[in-house]
Amino acid sequence: MRLPLITICAILVLTSLYPQENSFQALALDPILTKNANAIVRLDEMKIDVASHKSITYTVKQVVTVLNKLGNSSARTQLYYDKEKKIKNIDILIYDQLGKEIKHIKRKDFQDLSTADGFSLYNDDRLLYHRYTPIQYPYTLEFTYEVESSDTGFFPPWYFISGYLVSVEKSHYEINFADETLKPEIKEYNLDGITYDKKETSNSILYSAENIPALKQEYLSPDFLDIVPRLKVRMKHFNLKGVDASVADWNDLGAWIDNELLKNRDDLTEETKMTVHELVKGTDDTLEKARIIYQYVQDNTRYISVQIGIGGWQPISAIDVDKVKYGDCKGLSNYTKALLKEVGVESYYVVVHAGNAKIDFDKDFSILQGNHAILAIPYNDEYYWVDCTSQVNPFGYIGDFTDDRDVLVVKPNGGEIVRTRSYLNGQNKQLTTASFKVSDKGTLTGEVEISTTGVQYSNRLHLENETTEDVVKYYKKFWHNINNLNIGSFNFLNDKNAISMKETVSLEANNYASTSQDRILFGLNPFNKIEHVPKRYRVRKRPFEILRGFLDIDEYEINIPSGYSIEALPATQNIKTEFGEYAMSIELKDGQIIRYNKSFALNAGTYPPEKYKEYRDFRKKVAKQENAKVVLTKNKVN
Amino acid sequence: MRTKCNVLLLFFITLNLFAQDFKFGKISKEELTQKEYTQDPSAAAAVLFREVTINYNYVKNEGFMVETNVHERVKIYNADGFKFGTISESLYQSGNTAESLSGIKAFTYNLKDGKIVETKLSKNDIFNEEVNKYRLRKKFTMPNLQEGSVIEYQYKIQSPFSSNIDEIILQYDIPIVKQEIKVVIPEYYTFNERTKGYLMFDIKKSSLHGQINFTSNARTNRNTRVVSASKVSSSSLKYRNNVSSITMDNVPALKEEPFVNNMDNYRSALKFELQFTKFPNSTIETYTTSWEKVVKKIYDFEGFGGQLDKTRYFMDDLPIVLQGKVSEEEKTSAIYHFVKDRMHWNGMYGYTSDEGVKKAYDLKTGNIADINLILVGMLRAANLKANPVLISTRSNGVPLFPTMEGFNYVAASVIIGDGYVFLDATNKYTKPNLLPTRALNWSGRVVKENGTSTEFSLMPTLKSENTVLLSAEISNTGELEGKIRRSFVDYGAYTFRNNYDVLDEDTYLEKLEEQFGEIEISEYGIKNKLAVGKPVMENFAFYTEDLVEFIDDKIYISPLLWFSEEENPFKLEKRDYPIDFIYPRKNRYLITLKIPEGYRVEFLPEDMLLSLPENQGSFKYKLGVIGGKSLQIAVEEHINVAVFSSLNYPLLKEYYKTIVQKQLEKVVLSKTNDNGNTESATGGR
Repeated sequence: MRLPLITICAILVLTSLYPQENSFQALALDPILTKNANAIVRLDEMKIDVASHKSITYTVKQVVTVLNKLGNSSARTQLYYDKEKKIKNIDILIYDQLGKEIKHIKRKDFQDLSTADGFSLYNDDRLLYHRYTPIQYPYTLEFTYEVESSDTGFFPPWYFISGYLVSVEKSHYEINFADETLKPEIKEYNLDGITYDKKETSNSILYSAENIPALKQEYLSPDFLDIVPRLKVRMKHFNLKGVDASVADWNDLGAWIDNELLKNRDDLTEETKMTVHELVKGTDDTLEKARIIYQYVQDNTRYISVQIGIGGWQPISAIDVDKVKYGDCKGLSNYTKALLKEVGVESYYVVVHAGNAKIDFDKDFSILQGNHAILAIPYNDEYYWVDCTSQVNPFGYIGDFTDDRDVLVVKPNGGEIVRTRSYLNGQNKQLTTASFKVSDKGTLTGEVEISTTGVQYSNRLHLENETTEDVVKYYKKFWHNINNLNIGSFNFLNDKNAISMKETVSLEANNYASTSQDRILFGLNPFNKIEHVPKRYRVRKRPFEILRGFLDIDEYEINIPSGYSIEALPATQNIKTEFGEYAMSIELKDGQIIRYNKSFALNAGTYPPEKYKEYRDFRKKVAKQENAKVVLTKNKVN
Repeated sequence: MRTKCNVLLLFFITLNLFAQDFKFGKISKEELTQKEYTQDPSAAAAVLFREVTINYNYVKNEGFMVETNVHERVKIYNADGFKFGTISESLYQSGNTAESLSGIKAFTYNLKDGKIVETKLSKNDIFNEEVNKYRLRKKFTMPNLQEGSVIEYQYKIQSPFSSNIDEIILQYDIPIVKQEIKVVIPEYYTFNERTKGYLMFDIKKSSLHGQINFTSNARTNRNTRVVSASKVSSSSLKYRNNVSSITMDNVPALKEEPFVNNMDNYRSALKFELQFTKFPNSTIETYTTSWEKVVKKIYDFEGFGGQLDKTRYFMDDLPIVLQGKVSEEEKTSAIYHFVKDRMHWNGMYGYTSDEGVKKAYDLKTGNIADINLILVGMLRAANLKANPVLISTRSNGVPLFPTMEGFNYVAASVIIGDGYVFLDATNKYTKPNLLPTRALNWSGRVVKENGTSTEFSLMPTLKSENTVLLSAEISNTGELEGKIRRSFVDYGAYTFRNNYDVLDEDTYLEKLEEQFGEIEISEYGIKNKLAVGKPVMENFAFYTEDLVEFIDDKIYISPLLWFSEEENPFKLEKRDYPIDFIYPRKNRYLITLKIPEGYRVEFLPEDMLLSLPENQGSFKYKLGVIGGKSLQIAVEEHINVAVFSSLNYPLLKEYYKTIVQKQLEKVVLSKTNDNGNTESATGGR
């Protein structure tokens, strides 16, 4: 009982020594907050004043105690701004473990930098940045700033936690508005995991929460956005880079985009009009016309990102893209749309959140969002989706960049939320057929054919345009498990209509089999070993997702050297689970040929955390089978 | 009138030197129809013609300005080459003086229906970006790019920094079919020409007349760039220009290769290094010419040598640090640890202090120079023979000729007895004579108190040793259960600590299990995790189900278990650049595996001893059976040098092939009828 007393005394003494700073001491931290945390957000506070639909001011105070070097990135020391967003003041204070101030960083100590993202040709956003080097751990950084903005189209949202491995002691989000007409709408996401307080008056809304433990990232976890407690906030009447809007739902937002951002940006020169008419001459079918135009755009333009002002949201006009033959996703989509319109094909501009993770636009909460634009072409009651930034995708193929998610389709009389096409399970197929022989010296010689569809197709698409040197490098990496690999000839057949790719490769590898005395030992599956075993968790906390699933089929004919016979063959396998199915069978033909057949199907889905171990066991079993080997022995000469 | 003459003369020479085809805008159909560059069909684009001309122009009251004229014509063969259609120039600015870029003229040419169609770059599509206080960037991307396009652009860069001519790159990532480089320098400037890279080229010398006309009173100006003339209302000054010209045809592309420390080390380039200036009516001012002079000049900087003289700022602390320390070793160690603990590196490189060592000391943070110059200062104040060591880091490349940029880092050295000890206080996990890996780049120059310097090799010669001791039992159902002890010494420990120092045990174990693959780890313990100077020692128990293979009644085991190297890291046929292991190393494995009841050893791979020539490396592999009950595996891998020459590549590849082959061999156990009573323990041999 004595120890705690001493601790309390010590804290009391320290408290009296530093009466003003004691709130940010880092001596006695709550274990709930330190668990799994590299940093603790002591206070995250944002107070927003809405003066009008085109003027808001927000004051932010973030106090972060950083526990170790991995927590430094949680203590923000930078702030973005642009023409509409003015930084009124900005200031940083650093405290030591006792809560004593050790450094004061003022506005003049910040660097003013371009946000050049290394990706855009040009980007007019800027940032103020201070590089702080910690001189001890833990330390506490207090970042305060005030921003005035006329952009209310992007109303500051609220995240109760900003990332993994950081906990939050106190979170405070407050909006004050002059009158009821300026009251923003709020939608809550994932708040069930935390205890929070919400207060509303006629001219304010306040959310607060305390003691939110740190989240740890887990393999196959749902996207951070799908688990983090957060608020989306919007104003019905907003202003974006000087353009006014009044939006109640997706229909309105779509109409606004069409009216304000797209209207009159589809003019074309007479020459271009003639060119495209010439291209589709004799073609009646609208889908066929669309195919031709898409190919024309792919052949004649390239993707270059330029982000200036509302250009972050508004496409460059079609006539300008036509002139320079480059554009960003918006510019190229709008350009293609204009060309399609010219030849009588209707298409819609689509705003989407692109990326491997499938992030949906919320049907019930219309808000400016997304990071990419594509086109939707209606045909026979379905949509064909095309990405105009790709020079290689077949018509209607969007791969895993924009598939299977809710997006905003902008129609002339309004917008609507539509789900893009998906690529699931058996649609993502890879068929590997091979015929090879293994010599008595252990050398493997043969030919492999790989056909891919669905998202597996996009992983191979690049091969077509690679140099011989790079293709050889690719296969040496792809089949890294085969030592001494030599690639002979190869050939690619890209069937853009069927959206499938066929690779044919002839190859050779010395010492593929290990030989000793009268015995030869080798793996039956050199070309597509599914060996991945997911990481073990002592306690799995969150559900896991298999986003798309796939199906791999391997069919090999293996010739064994004459004068040898099989000593041992692996047994037939059949493993069935809800996550997928594995089947492997081996048969011997004429004593000289081994037939190896395997199929592995992984099923897309979201599975509860309790099932994780079961899933891991399944993958473990599969991985083990994938190493199945055969042993040959030399026939005894009598 | 004379100036005009000069221009004419220049014009003539230009005409003589360049074939007409390369005049701006004279694009031929042949260039547009070209499908590939025959010398290198893999090229996505090629520079058909490149002309860079550098002149010194006299500007009234400003002095000489360096004007660089660039003209390039590039053929785009396929879409991969589109990225060469974006041009970006970085410009330096300092206070009110800045480089400027102007006169951009750029066209894209395409063939349409057999006719050449040109598209002009619009002024609106040229972007200026203020990267930071010191850097501006001008960027544009060519319009209407297609596979097969030819692009052509020209522009000029004016620089007031006349003592500096930027390195002239002579080799790109794409081939250059023809290039003409010309540098015209007034006699007042004497430059040293330095070349680097593997390509051969000639530099032709000639001379040209130059003249400056003074139309009004020329004031005497202290600025070295301004020529002082007599105070006459009108006069002219004639001088000679020295011209260096390079013409190169079919310059191959520089291609990336793996395991190379820094590709730019191998890129061909020409560097003009100012030796001295001698203007009329003024004295000679010398600049850098040799490594000794470069170092001397750096030494004279306030931010370098100047910082070493300051001692007051640490004088209160030094006696406390040195209390009870008698020998030179003790004193060195005490000061080194004190600085290493007190100071926190801010991530910035450099051999000059940013805001002075005193301020850095007070703030407890600074750049590389701040921290290591404090270290040298304190060591000297303790009467130790300490000196700074100038270094070019791995990322800065290996400087082949003396320039100030040939260094970007400074460490410390101290002479104890008659040996040198190298120190660096900017990483928490280094120790004397163990510098951070970033600083291991062949050699460094120790700078003595009078500014003279000597080159020292910094390549580590001591092997960093990692050891694994493993004992386990194989069950007759194929599970493996046992214990592992691992230790990491020197760079092994340095790497371990830098990677895992702040990870909690749970997170670390997850990573460790992931690294091993099929394993479950428990009873984890670690010693000396952060005790620099001592080896990191881990021990843990493990369990795994899937490491050994059953086929029929036989068990197949990879003797090195998870530690087998089953892939040759060297896969390519040939290689042009050295193979960089960073530091010499030794890995040792001692594994004891208990054989399950009812099994006997049927086959045991043979022992092996393999060495690289000149004792550059070796591999020892030894298997044995003890009492028929246990397998004992002892393996040692030595790499005795930090860097292998590319000449050794085929040898090294073959060496690894043999090692990998050996490690793929399996021990075979088979069932006995006599319950483990195995007479023929080495039956497989």
